[in-house]
Amino acid sequence: MLLIATSANAQKLPTSKYVNHTEFGGLFGRVKYSNSYNGNQEQVDNRLSMTIQTFNGMQVHRRLTVGATVGVDWYKAALLNPVAAGLRYDLTKRGNVKLFATADAGYAFAWFHDDAEGLDTKGGLMINPGFGLKIGKPGAVAVTLGLSYKRQEAQVEKVPLWDQRERSEDRVYNRLALRLGFSF
Amino acid sequence: MKPKLLLFVLIAAACWSCNDQCKETRVVRRFTTVTHSLMELRTKVKAESPRALDQPGKMYVKGKYLFVNEIKKGIHIIDNSNPSSPKFVSFVTIPGNGDIAVRDNVLYADSFSDLVALDISNPASPKEIDRVKNVFKSGLFDGGSWNLNESVGAINDQNVEWVTETVDVNCEENLNPGWWGGGIMWMIADRASFSGAAKSASPQSAGGSNGQAGSMARFALHQNFLYTVGQSTLHLFNITTPSKPVDFATVNVGWGIETIFPYKNKLFIGSSTGMFIYDNTNPAEPKQLANFQHGRACDPVVVEGDIAYVTLRTGTACAGTQNQLDLVDISNPSSPQLIKSYQMENPHGLSIDFPTLYLCEGEKGLKVFDVADKFAVDKHQLAHFKDIDAYDVISLGETLLLIGKDGFYQYDASNPRDLKLLSKIPVGKAI
Repeated sequence: MLLIATSANAQKLPTSKYVNHTEFGGLFGRVKYSNSYNGNQEQVDNRLSMTIQTFNGMQVHRRLTVGATVGVDWYKAALLNPVAAGLRYDLTKRGNVKLFATADAGYAFAWFHDDAEGLDTKGGLMINPGFGLKIGKPGAVAVTLGLSYKRQEAQVEKVPLWDQRERSEDRVYNRLALRLGFSF
Repeated sequence: MKPKLLLFVLIAAACWSCNDQCKETRVVRRFTTVTHSLMELRTKVKAESPRALDQPGKMYVKGKYLFVNEIKKGIHIIDNSNPSSPKFVSFVTIPGNGDIAVRDNVLYADSFSDLVALDISNPASPKEIDRVKNVFKSGLFDGGSWNLNESVGAINDQNVEWVTETVDVNCEENLNPGWWGGGIMWMIADRASFSGAAKSASPQSAGGSNGQAGSMARFALHQNFLYTVGQSTLHLFNITTPSKPVDFATVNVGWGIETIFPYKNKLFIGSSTGMFIYDNTNPAEPKQLANFQHGRACDPVVVEGDIAYVTLRTGTACAGTQNQLDLVDISNPSSPQLIKSYQMENPHGLSIDFPTLYLCEGEKGLKVFDVADKFAVDKHQLAHFKDIDAYDVISLGETLLLIGKDGFYQYDASNPRDLKLLSKIPVGKAI
């Protein structure tokens, strides 16, 4: 089906079918927790993590590009490497500013995370859907501004404290990802 | 362009309140205070049908029988005449029991404040024959403490249960708050530790036939006396007539006493601060010879010849910063001297069948050393069995008894380099 669709649209495709979309930006979020250093009172903090990622794919349709995304996310206590299947879909046809949809889903690994003693950090599932603006002439390098929701899971095994037998933490990073990038 | 921008702003607004959700799940020890009446407790010692291991404590071997303490509840009696298929014989309910010693056909057990003597000539139905009342004033089980209130005839006890709790944390490392350590840790050093014993280093003595206890035991038999250690005292019972134990004397030892290991004419008492050596030439009157001090840690001791093998470990239940095996020269018991310290990972119980030393490393398994060369023990590691979660070990020469987190194992140890599993009693399942 995909092949048929692709060949049917072949004459409308640009010469290059390979697409690279590289972005960097921040993951903005908050966290609410009970502070054990302060009588377990609830406390709310801001969280901001650096993120870079690169999407490499093939244009299979005039609007649609599918491929793979790899990246690095520097969370406060975890360095995660998401590896995901991704797609980019142009929502508007004309003009030098296009609105596009973006979606990546996959798994993040803690390959390069160096655990503190007694901790064992593992990655987890990741989804990252959102929208973006592509600014630039067709066929040339375009600048992109992406705004998406990112949900990243992670798991940490910890050394039990003196009165404990087991201790582990399930993390879900819920973040707003704001990214600047380029696409060609 | 305007609808696009509007969409952008809407998504931004929806995501702007994104919260990280980090939940830490912990299994935590909880204490609840309960009061038991002594009058009621003293009616509860009785033989019952065999039951499964639930929370095994110390172990004692006498002849073909194994006695496994069920922490605070009683004693499993196991027929081990065939190590390949041990059989549960009976379960004796003894409230507040933690330690065991056997002389001839008499089993001595603590029941909170009392010392109970049971006739085990028929292991299927042991009977209480005597009781020394109100001799132990306080104690610890699994971190929960109890103390005797003599004026009203009651035990004020803490029940310990493990509860799972989930709390929101800040998605960061959350290292230990520093003040949590220290003070409280030493109190819970005496956990559900199994006692190890060695054939060659077993506390044997003249006068009746004794069973074997080991590096974590608080009870020891020597000649006509039963020695028991409390948190700060050494208590002597005269058992000239085994069925009639008599409260004999109390010796003040020190603080944080954990284990007692009699060897030849000496008593080696392990405390959370060091090792005390007592001269026991006159069994009725042990005299302190030396106090070998080291860091604060859990420290079972076994002795063979002129060398004491002491392990120190850190961990959740033990304070201290060392994980090591110390060899101590005790040829002059008044002045014990360190021979050498060897770094270990997380040493628990140990047992010696000279020249083979079995050392439990907790989750890191069981290590077997040839200790013939006392300066190069680490160079003579015979084997390291990594797939065992070993708490404590007893070497009976040909047979090796081992307790892991999930049950009780027996190995054929005729070749220490290649242990062969004979049988396993899993926790929670009766044979």
